[in-house]
Amino acid sequence: MLKVGEFIDYYNLVGFMSKRINRNNFVNYITGYSFVIPPLIFVVLFIMVPVFKSFYLSFTSWRGLGEPSFTGLRNYINLFTKDPAFYIALKNSLLFQFGATAGTILVGLILALLIDLKIRFWRFYRFVFFLPVVLSTIAIGFMWQKVFDPYGLLNTILEALTLDRFAIIWLGQSQWLAMGIIVFVTIWQYSGFPMLFFLAGLQNIDPEIYEAARIDGASTIKRIIHVSIPLLKNVFSVIIVLQLIFSFKVFGIVWVMTQGGPANLTEVLGTHLYKVAFTGQSFGYGSVIAVLIFIVSMIYAYLYTRISGYKNTLK
Amino acid sequence: MQLNTHRKRPFGSIFGRSLIQIFMISWTLMLLLPIFWLLYSSFKTSSAIRANTFAFPKVIAWENYDFSSLSDVGLTIGIYYRNSIIISVVSLFILIFISLIASYSIAKLKFPGKNVIMIIFIALLGIPVHAILIPLYYQMLSYGLLDKYLGVILPYIALFSPFTILLLQAYFREFPNELIDAAKIDGCGNLRTFFSIVLPISKGAVSSVLIINFINIWNEFLFALVVMTNNNAKTLPVGLMGFKGTYAIEWGPLFATLVITIIPTIIIYFIFHRNIIQGITTGAIKG
Repeated sequence: MLKVGEFIDYYNLVGFMSKRINRNNFVNYITGYSFVIPPLIFVVLFIMVPVFKSFYLSFTSWRGLGEPSFTGLRNYINLFTKDPAFYIALKNSLLFQFGATAGTILVGLILALLIDLKIRFWRFYRFVFFLPVVLSTIAIGFMWQKVFDPYGLLNTILEALTLDRFAIIWLGQSQWLAMGIIVFVTIWQYSGFPMLFFLAGLQNIDPEIYEAARIDGASTIKRIIHVSIPLLKNVFSVIIVLQLIFSFKVFGIVWVMTQGGPANLTEVLGTHLYKVAFTGQSFGYGSVIAVLIFIVSMIYAYLYTRISGYKNTLK
Repeated sequence: MQLNTHRKRPFGSIFGRSLIQIFMISWTLMLLLPIFWLLYSSFKTSSAIRANTFAFPKVIAWENYDFSSLSDVGLTIGIYYRNSIIISVVSLFILIFISLIASYSIAKLKFPGKNVIMIIFIALLGIPVHAILIPLYYQMLSYGLLDKYLGVILPYIALFSPFTILLLQAYFREFPNELIDAAKIDGCGNLRTFFSIVLPISKGAVSSVLIINFINIWNEFLFALVVMTNNNAKTLPVGLMGFKGTYAIEWGPLFATLVITIIPTIIIYFIFHRNIIQGITTGAIKG
């Protein structure tokens, strides 16, 4: 919000005569508003209205035709008491979330610390390590699905090495193995993302601190553990929340690699919602899952704004 | 992005450095080999892939890239490609245009309530598509926009504008006020100041958001999956799912389609990786 003092400073700086303040004020307001209104209309129509509608639909039964009919809390009760697939999906979503968040951040941190040592070809490494991030998750998922296919690359290699007994149906055997592979593919594709954050954080560390550590006789490894990593504290909190948000939305990679199967074993919240709503035509019931995802995401978004200091920039 | 060049002293012993190089080369191979395998396998016939998934192609099977043969089984790759390009270009154009002006206004113009508007954009940043998928589908159904380009273009603009605006306003905030004020004294209005003074200097930031958004829109899957169900309306990632069905056995054409799906973003990354890397880090750290 503007203060009177700010107004006067602003207009003295620009050199306008004081009697023009009010008119200019008005013009500024109008242009200000008209510039922000177009994107606001878009987010109101296509994000905010749908979010409220999600809440509404979650209390109704709607099969895609006609008008939704109000059913109260029935969808919520059904979800929590009569839907074993929901609990599998919830468990897998959390499993994926923590596996992918921890994995990408750990690998990303190691890569960033090593690149920051200014080893030979570090620019090339940074270039390659981020490359998979820009590729379509669906295409990458298809590629890896063919690697882990019963007749795919991995089993061919294992057979060539006469390790046939390790050649198994990778994605169709157990819940843990399939989810583990999906987490692995995500780490493979996305660890370049936290790497960039850590590199930016490392770049912001004052070189004099390193110099002091060197004079004190600290080895490179000690310096990393006792100086670099503690100073990356802020980057850690931002990237952890960001990765939690990203991985909670998981859909594409699961959809392309297993479609939630075999027999719901790799179902996540996203695929469960899609199947319930768009395959099973139970849009009201699906909206309950949407509301749950929304509430959790808002908690993360709130954490993110607190941590990343967006509030401080709003001055 | 520059890294700290102050520390010229290389890490420890030759042994230590070789160890790090071995690790870095291993991860590089880990990332590049599967992509390389995909690339050369796309030139093998499906039967050659079945015979040995690992071997290099003996005869180059260009026919994998002749996608017209796939239309017999209902996979119209050319149409998916066209749809992806049209949707990406149109959404990008509108998205960037309205985001630029709004970000400039938030960063440099004074009007009451702009903090509230900013908080709205920040809050929307974390909303997952899942949470709005069903009502958006319902909305598109009632507007008659299912299977229409606008049916995904309009939500894409809404979905990607909060991130774009946050990034751009962070950049404009640091734009020198003196230049803007000078233009105003010369009698330029806000729009003219923006287009003739601010925008030409901001090419770097604009190309960053252009490229990052292009990649995001090109790869978007879930919403396109829901809205574009008619075969003639599908985008590339959605169309790819067609290989899951009866045609699952033909790996050659599948690999060729995967290659042409990832090639545009790879090329863009080759040319603009500096902009991408810079855009992502400023967007998230500086806010």
